[in-house]
Amino acid sequence: MKRRLNSKNPASLIIGLVVLAILAIAILGAPLLAPYDPVAQNAAERLEKPSDKHWLGTDRFGRDILSRTLHGGQTTLLSSLLALCAALAIGLLVGMAAGMFHGSALDHILMRIIDVLLAFPFMVFAMVIAGLFGTGLVHLLLAVVSVWWVSFARLTRSVVLHAKNETSYAAAKVLGASNLAIMRKELLPKAISPVLILATFELGTLILSIAALSFLGLGAQPPAPEWGSMLADGRAHFFQAPHILIGPAAFIVATVLAFNLIGEGLRDRLDPYEKLEL
Amino acid sequence: MHTVLLRKLLEALLTLFFATLIIFALIRLAPGDPVRLMLGHPGEIAAKGTSAYDEKVAELRAELGLDRNIAVQYVSWLGRLAQGDLGTSIFTGKQVGSEIAARLPATVTLSLSALLVQIALGLFFGMVAALRSGKLADQLIRVACVALASTPAFVVGLVALALFAVKYGVYEISSDFSAARLWLPALTLGVLGAPQLVRIMRANLLTEFGKIYVSSAQSRGLDRKRVVRHAARNALIPLVTMVALSFAGLIGGAVVIESIFSWPGIGKYALDSILVKDYPVIQGYALVAVLMVVLIHFLVDVVYSALDPRIHHKGEAGREEKA
Repeated sequence: MKRRLNSKNPASLIIGLVVLAILAIAILGAPLLAPYDPVAQNAAERLEKPSDKHWLGTDRFGRDILSRTLHGGQTTLLSSLLALCAALAIGLLVGMAAGMFHGSALDHILMRIIDVLLAFPFMVFAMVIAGLFGTGLVHLLLAVVSVWWVSFARLTRSVVLHAKNETSYAAAKVLGASNLAIMRKELLPKAISPVLILATFELGTLILSIAALSFLGLGAQPPAPEWGSMLADGRAHFFQAPHILIGPAAFIVATVLAFNLIGEGLRDRLDPYEKLEL
Repeated sequence: MHTVLLRKLLEALLTLFFATLIIFALIRLAPGDPVRLMLGHPGEIAAKGTSAYDEKVAELRAELGLDRNIAVQYVSWLGRLAQGDLGTSIFTGKQVGSEIAARLPATVTLSLSALLVQIALGLFFGMVAALRSGKLADQLIRVACVALASTPAFVVGLVALALFAVKYGVYEISSDFSAARLWLPALTLGVLGAPQLVRIMRANLLTEFGKIYVSSAQSRGLDRKRVVRHAARNALIPLVTMVALSFAGLIGGAVVIESIFSWPGIGKYALDSILVKDYPVIQGYALVAVLMVVLIHFLVDVVYSALDPRIHHKGEAGREEKA
């Protein structure tokens, strides 16, 4: 019912994909496309405003912000994607196990772990990890993975519980298929599409969260050309030279926007279950 | 009814217990010796490597009980927590518990004000979008929501600060906790959280509009305003969870805004402590944050079972709705 109410939006999927494609080409092609060396300092051109020569201006060491942003995108996007994949894998595995053995001791234990992790707001957890183990991108990503899988696990579990009511599941059971085979052939295919839709949205949220923590100084540390460390650097000089922050921030907005639009488009198209408002 | 609430209370306590276990384990796993860190004050560091220093380390270790069995340590730590003792800050030497308690009102005031802004915006624009579903107003609201949800909080905060404090000079930058300084961070935080509520409100209302009681009311000739009011009331119930959970999120997520606006809340206190590795403060912050979240989740359950008696019979569905 809801799908009919949510006006179908092919435009959002297409716009999202186009924006993402442009970003991907620009970022992956950074070594060829970037006009300057991302780490080359130039004392004569410090804190320059955007101009023909430097489209997004320069930072306090005279480094070209556009080049740094393009190169930095590789680290940021690859590490976010890696964290998401890890969270996705754990979430699918836990969700399938909990759903398959619904009501068993295993299910109870897994759900209890999930409840405990849900009590930690993500930002708080990431701050604790950074505070105890030190700041840096690796610790940040570990913090992300350790709490982020929960949303995938919950979704997978509820999809599996749905799927177990269907005839094909009963048929497979009656025909004597093993639990593993049922999970692989019956339940996994059904869980994939809603989980992927969630993942597109989550990737956007994840990039935003990593950016926020980096902005606070808990992520990648300067001088690495990475979006987060550029943000932390730009923060210190925001009121004198707002362009240092605006450059990488604009790229973050574009990336997250692309993933959100793709997520919306995919949800309108693929969503077999109505309750996916997360 | 009482048995359900009792079970929820037990679950909440269990969650808290496991959360303390996680925090304790993380502290133990963390690199660095807390004793050496505590002795690491300027002035005392010069004594490093001497036998006097080693003696002092051993003395402090025994004093803190760090030479005892780890389970004993955990239990005694838990005992101190139960009495509200969160330890003392390594850097300031002050009680972490009272330091956090002093900053809690600032965070709660900010979060509650932001929540009010968020609810007002969410209900209003959600209602407009649902009533004008598919029309221009709905499309515009949708675009604005997607754009806002894709913008980092610090960008919105810094732009707000640049506009209102630097350009127009109507907002004073300082680190006081006062009513005059509340509006801008509260507004920023509220606007940032609104898109989620707008979407849910719109979707819930449209679902209600599609139900039989609405068409039957319309066919009986009830005027549009009254029908919408009935539908809105039903659409609000699932929102209770959303709002409560977003309040829990605000408490943790306000860190960025607290930091940008130098709002003297617990988030900023924790952040300042992270940069100097003040373990007891970080640990106290985590405990307080978790305690608040668990408390809010529990209150949601209580409110829910008061609002909707059917919840008791479908605990599983209730869990799903929290997603």
